[in-house]
Amino acid sequence: MTIMLKQMGFIFNADLCVGCKACEIACKNENKTPAGVNWRRVSSTAEGVYLSLSCNHCDSPECFRICPQKAYSKRRDGIVFINNNRCDGCMDCVSACPYDAPQFDTITRKASKCIFCESRLLKGLDPACIVACSTGAIQMVNLNKGQSQGTVGMIDGFPDIRLTKPSIRFFPLQPRKRYWLQD
Amino acid sequence: MLPTDYKIFRNVCPRNCYDTCGIISYVKNGELIKVEGDPKHGYTKGRLCAKGYAYTQYVYSPDRLRYPLRQYPRGSGTWERISWEQAIEIIADKILELNKRYGSNLALAHNKFSGNLGLLHYAVEGMFNSMGEHTKTIGNACLAAGFDAISYDFGDNINPDPEDMADSKLIVIWGANPAWTAIHQLSHINAAREKGAKVVVIDPLYTPTAAKADIFVQIRPSTDSLLALGIVKILMEQDKCDNDFIRDHTWGWEPFSSYVKEKISISLVREVTGITEEVIFELASLYGSTKPCANWVGFGLQRSMNGGQNTRAINALVGVTGNIGRKGGGLYYFNPTPNYFPQSLLNHPSPESRQPREVDINRFADDILSLANPPVKMLWVASRNPLSQDQNLARWQELLESLELVVTVDLFMTRTAEMSDLVLPATSTFENDDVNVGYWHYWLAINQKAIEPLYEAKSDLEIARILTRKLNELSPGFSDFPYELTDEDWISKEFTPKVLEIYGLANWEELKDGPRKCSGNKIPWEDRRFKTKTGKFELYSRDAKENELPAISTYNQPRNDIYPLRLLSPQHRNRLHSQYDFVPWLNDEHFDILKMNQKDARQRGIEEGDTVCIYNEAGLLSKKIKLSPYIPLGVVVASQGGLKPINSLMFDLPADMGMKESGSRGLAINDVYVECKKQVK
Ligand code: SF4
Ligand code: SF4
Ligand code: SF4
Repeated sequence: MTIMLKQMGFIFNADLCVGCKACEIACKNENKTPAGVNWRRVSSTAEGVYLSLSCNHCDSPECFRICPQKAYSKRRDGIVFINNNRCDGCMDCVSACPYDAPQFDTITRKASKCIFCESRLLKGLDPACIVACSTGAIQMVNLNKGQSQGTVGMIDGFPDIRLTKPSIRFFPLQPRKRYWLQD
Repeated sequence: MLPTDYKIFRNVCPRNCYDTCGIISYVKNGELIKVEGDPKHGYTKGRLCAKGYAYTQYVYSPDRLRYPLRQYPRGSGTWERISWEQAIEIIADKILELNKRYGSNLALAHNKFSGNLGLLHYAVEGMFNSMGEHTKTIGNACLAAGFDAISYDFGDNINPDPEDMADSKLIVIWGANPAWTAIHQLSHINAAREKGAKVVVIDPLYTPTAAKADIFVQIRPSTDSLLALGIVKILMEQDKCDNDFIRDHTWGWEPFSSYVKEKISISLVREVTGITEEVIFELASLYGSTKPCANWVGFGLQRSMNGGQNTRAINALVGVTGNIGRKGGGLYYFNPTPNYFPQSLLNHPSPESRQPREVDINRFADDILSLANPPVKMLWVASRNPLSQDQNLARWQELLESLELVVTVDLFMTRTAEMSDLVLPATSTFENDDVNVGYWHYWLAINQKAIEPLYEAKSDLEIARILTRKLNELSPGFSDFPYELTDEDWISKEFTPKVLEIYGLANWEELKDGPRKCSGNKIPWEDRRFKTKTGKFELYSRDAKENELPAISTYNQPRNDIYPLRLLSPQHRNRLHSQYDFVPWLNDEHFDILKMNQKDARQRGIEEGDTVCIYNEAGLLSKKIKLSPYIPLGVVVASQGGLKPINSLMFDLPADMGMKESGSRGLAINDVYVECKKQVK
């Protein structure tokens, strides 16, 4: 096992996200993924409640464990990397990942996924999704540095975290007043 | 991937959108490879919305129109590629022939609106004006009723700086959904929240914006005026109004307050709006105790027969609580900054003796069909897709049948293009120069030509040049369009000394270094010198009365319709009207959906996923049902755009106001009713 210098991860603030999909499309603009291959995906888990997820760069990445071609690697900064040249399109990772992170491209017949905009990070820039978000719902953190005060490990609609230990933390929804029509 | 060895340009998203974003374009070997928000744009701050981030796909969509096309017979789908020379010749010949036949150009009409709001796109209007008399549109399809309401009360339309919402203590959003239509405003709203401000959303629909509000109050559609007046009544009774402002700066407090006292009862407000007394009191207590309070009137609540009244009542509430002319407070609706500019193309004059005749854009098909001497025979459509977005589509069919030549300029084969004789391919905003001013924020930006036009696309301005040049070749002096002027010449015409001064510019070229903010008038009415005839903020408007409207904001009973379900058609996140239909990244969802409350569905034997037929006096179409307990009883909701335009069910129901500022009444499309039936297979 490599010694982890860092564990790069995300904090997602469910209370701020409005499901505008700027992050999802900004990711496509940055990484040029075709329609249907979405490294970041925004979904609605209840009326007005959204979840924007990419790869969670898990602590125990199932993709890494299962890939017969050893296309996956876990870097010392915690980023789970995929080497496209090695991928032979068996789709084992696609079914193994609980978070739908590896996306299968039916044209190239290879899997691909979020690599934390690593070329942006090298230049000192934040990932495209984070820059795009007008509400600040997505943040990047080093989870080994304890930058996640006040967060929780799970929210509604997020798959079980026990298997892969995803590097994502959440700010949950706050209670709000809602007054519905009296019919 | 970050591009290497690229060129960078400044562009602007020209959509009819609150945000008018600054864009940084990356171009490699002449290809637009990526877009980013312009970090120097102080309002949009380096971010775009989902639609904006999809621009590379929009520009290089396989569905982009490439060449001029001719269709014969119209609507047959039999298209033939022709050259620009041929296309221009066909058009010029027709124009000249019609001129000969009727002795004037009145048989020519155009229908253009907000598809691209760049100032250089007014070349369409400029081109027609340059031919003297013709048939043009007046009125405003979008915001006419609210515009008049604000004009009656304040004397002029000026928005406070939306960045100042960050200094509000209370933000009340009446029927707007910035989460999907003005995403950048959320960062200014959230900045206020971080400092402790409360956000209230009042809306018939539980929008994503509503879902994040501190308080969401669901209201029956278009009953906002009663709620606002009800709150005023409570504030009056509790002596929580701003008496100094009322005494010194309002007109008509006496009749207004006795009207509210006598005619508005809280039980009436409760009955009509569907909001409990407790909640009405809670809202009143917020308004009475929290200042400054920013109020945002969305466009939807004025697209109603009660639309101007809704807006006037909210104006009154903002006024009597002393929130006008105060940083962080005020009334937000629309900011007419484009009017600071000469808009030389739009305002290119026709000779005095050869003025155009006007038809109402909101009753276009009807009005054109009623014209004689001469009738309209040729129609030019640009920056618009009326067969998806206008109303009275059945009348449009008749109109099309009566026309001899229909020309549509667009980037895509829209429904309107499909019914045209000639389709001319238009440039995207990355392929032409332009200047863009927001109608919400205070920023101005230059749009640079970043890439060469794709295929044979041309801008509206270039088309105006080649067509008018051809006309003059065939008939000297036919048009006085200055076709020798370059894009840059037209841009520099917009920068009068006054404009340069308010944007703090030495010359317009400075905009190449980044957008600039307008310096004037950030806190409108701070001096309390209103532009009404009385110089006061008018709770009682004599002008309204003279125009046969109530002098004091009232509530109009909804019309009795034979159809039971009120149809609302808000914008979808992935669309702007019918734009972006051809962008695969934005097409991951099913659009032909009608949302309905379970109870309404049960009564009709309709279940989730059923295909229903929706109909009324205007037309009929089918959509798939999505049930939702969040949709009010008696309301159905469909998005705009898509393959089956919901506007097939719209007809020209006028809003209560619009004449004063726009020359024609607005549209009450949110007062359209329909019925639904399960379709049997
Ligand atoms: S950009 Fe931000 S607010 Fe919009 S969907 Fe993504 S996370 Fe949510
Ligand atoms: S989210 Fe899925 S793909 Fe990403 S590291 Fe975890 S298991 Fe692997
Ligand atoms: S549609 Fe509006 S928010 Fe989106 S990029 Fe264009 S101007 Fe900005």
